[in-house]
Amino acid sequence: MPTDPRSLPRGLSRRSFLGAGVAATAGLGLFGCGGQSTTKSGGQANLQFMYWGSANEKAAIEQMTKAFEKSHSGTKVQPVHVPGDYETKVNTLVASNNLPDVAYMTAPTAYRLAEQGKIANIYPYIEKYSQLSGRKPQNFFWYGDKQVAGTPAASEISLLWYNKDLFTDASMTPPAEADKAWSWDQLLEVATALTLDQNGKRPSDSGFKADRIRQFGLSAPLSTQWTWYPLIRSNGGDVTDESGTKYTLNSPECVKVFQDLQDLIYKHKVAPSPAQLGGGDTANAPTTTVQLQTKRVAMAIDGQWTLLDMGESDLKYGIGVLPTYQEPITQEAGSCRVMSSSTKHPEQAIELYAYSVDGSNSDLFKKGLWMPVETKYYSDASAIDAWTKNDVHPPEYRTAAVDYRLNNSVRDFTQVLKNVPAIQEVLTPAIEQIATGKVPAKTVLDGLEAKIQPLLKGRYPIPNSI
Amino acid sequence: MTDEVAIRRTAVTRAARKLRSGVSGQSRLERRWGLLLALPAIIGFVVFSLAPMAVSAVLSLTDWTIGSTPSFVGVDNYVHMFSQDPLFLKSLGVTTYYTLGAVPLTLVVAFAIAMLLNAKVRGLGVYRTIYYLPTLVPSVANAVLWLWIFNPDFGLLNSTLRQLGAPTSNWVFSETAVVPSLILMSSWGFGNIMVIFLAGLQGVPRHLYEAVAIDGGGAWRQFRHVTLPMMTPVLFYNLVTSIIGTFQVFNQAYIMTQGGPNNASTFYVYYLYTTAFTKSEMGYASALAWALFVIVMVITVALFRSSNRWVYYEMGAAR
Repeated sequence: MPTDPRSLPRGLSRRSFLGAGVAATAGLGLFGCGGQSTTKSGGQANLQFMYWGSANEKAAIEQMTKAFEKSHSGTKVQPVHVPGDYETKVNTLVASNNLPDVAYMTAPTAYRLAEQGKIANIYPYIEKYSQLSGRKPQNFFWYGDKQVAGTPAASEISLLWYNKDLFTDASMTPPAEADKAWSWDQLLEVATALTLDQNGKRPSDSGFKADRIRQFGLSAPLSTQWTWYPLIRSNGGDVTDESGTKYTLNSPECVKVFQDLQDLIYKHKVAPSPAQLGGGDTANAPTTTVQLQTKRVAMAIDGQWTLLDMGESDLKYGIGVLPTYQEPITQEAGSCRVMSSSTKHPEQAIELYAYSVDGSNSDLFKKGLWMPVETKYYSDASAIDAWTKNDVHPPEYRTAAVDYRLNNSVRDFTQVLKNVPAIQEVLTPAIEQIATGKVPAKTVLDGLEAKIQPLLKGRYPIPNSI
Repeated sequence: MTDEVAIRRTAVTRAARKLRSGVSGQSRLERRWGLLLALPAIIGFVVFSLAPMAVSAVLSLTDWTIGSTPSFVGVDNYVHMFSQDPLFLKSLGVTTYYTLGAVPLTLVVAFAIAMLLNAKVRGLGVYRTIYYLPTLVPSVANAVLWLWIFNPDFGLLNSTLRQLGAPTSNWVFSETAVVPSLILMSSWGFGNIMVIFLAGLQGVPRHLYEAVAIDGGGAWRQFRHVTLPMMTPVLFYNLVTSIIGTFQVFNQAYIMTQGGPNNASTFYVYYLYTTAFTKSEMGYASALAWALFVIVMVITVALFRSSNRWVYYEMGAAR
């Protein structure tokens, strides 16, 4: 029996305090380990939809998920917006087995997760949903025979953008049809005519000050494959041979393109270096819209997605096709939409999946951020009008983007080659070397062979038909 | 032994026991409360530091790619690191280069400013605030700000150099200039170190300066023979923490350079990060983390060993 009357309550409170503390901490730990991404409460299926993107994309996705909930009673969708560090988030979710039901995914990660069985093979669902069956085989991420990691909701291509105010002479305006595409020399000529130093002199004038350039003729950032990959393909080159097992980036065709791009900056002085662009990586540089608007550049090679930004600005923008070497070519790509293999509600999840990749379920197609993927949006006149007949899409869009994508696009190599993260780790620094202009393209690309060749593990197969 | 003595002894023993148990009860109580109050910190350390470290140590012996099943590979990751991974050595070299530049520069700048701010001038508080302000700028904002300062065409640095007729640089956009540029930028963040120096300077006894003055010593001798020796413990502390900090440099590469151009700014932790989260090779990334831990520990131990020779403690052995 305790002698001190105060000791009993104090002892008990101490113990309970301790116990509460431990319980709370343990609870916190469990909370940190996460619950399930999907739950079912009262017969309702709760799904998670994870995505990246700007504020515009966020608004559009939230609108899409709400519309889905309306048309699919009994299903609730929680949109999870991850504006930055997406791969980090994905990796932690995979490690804790909490992948959302439906999610955006970069191609290399989608392939990896498919091979690990973390995401569902959507091949069995293709026939059932017209949004999926109405696509070409190259619009899917195949990781084996009848094995599909996913398909994009939207597609993008590479284009030549320009500020219309700077093109008073119609003969100099970038062509908007693939078969009228400029040769490299024609592009260079126009870019030279549009490059001005602080005193208004051109690179061809005497007394031109290369270190005081006010307006560059063209921006063609080497830091992204959206610039160089379509051009090497246009010249008949590629990163690897068709099997994806032999390095070919040092072929004369590829070297020519990379040297041309380097010369634009350092020999002809008509394009900004990565430094002059304001960022070694395009992420830190001013946007293409701003660069065109401020007349820092007259033309710029950039992706179709820029149209959203352009449409919201006062800039009088124009769209042309890329210059051509042997044949007019642009690059096409779209991020992979995936469905978790461990979803608690596969039926509802695949419904959401198909709904979310449907070209008619988002206003981002009309706003210019995305191009639809289903074939009908490129062949059926009313379907084409549905997303391109508006103020954002200029008249030349029909030939410069719609037809261009349909007839002249090749798929981004990072979406078909295996082991891309490891390849990029050595490829990116090498291209930075070309971009900084200290070493000729051939030397860099020859030196790269020994580094990339051991990393080549082939290509993912794309069948001729679904 | 008589009964009386025995009884007395028993009483004494009881009293002693009682006394002992009283003391031990008190100390037990204190121990319990101490433990209880320290518990959040202990749990935090165990859950968020010790356990992840232990897990990463185990993972470093596997080939775990996130999403797959890890298999045990022994010390293969460590062997690969030293024998077949050029980026490991490259990133370690870049980080060492940065440390060798940034640590001395920051310490010298911080020390010099602290000396100035220790002077008796009017408006001292205002100066101290102004010099500390850059430290309050979030590191991401700071990185973006410096990106503009470094812009070769219209950045502050090149504009100034051009006006002076001096040669310009491509700063962070050049393979050779990127690390020196980031070192220059690091000196901007001297505020915290400066405050510690300032606190140290205010603890230097006045009478020592007076003694030097009486002996005819000027400002240099006062600095050389009083300030510097008396400040060595503070200098030592700042040196150790700065080195540990610079070996973990990450933001500049992540925000400003993405490790480029041509890996010239691929700092160790940035490389570790891309290995873990871009390539998803968590096993190898864990091995990289442990290698860094060992490297930093060796440097720290070496510094502590060397401190006997150059760090002066007024209290003698009381360190």
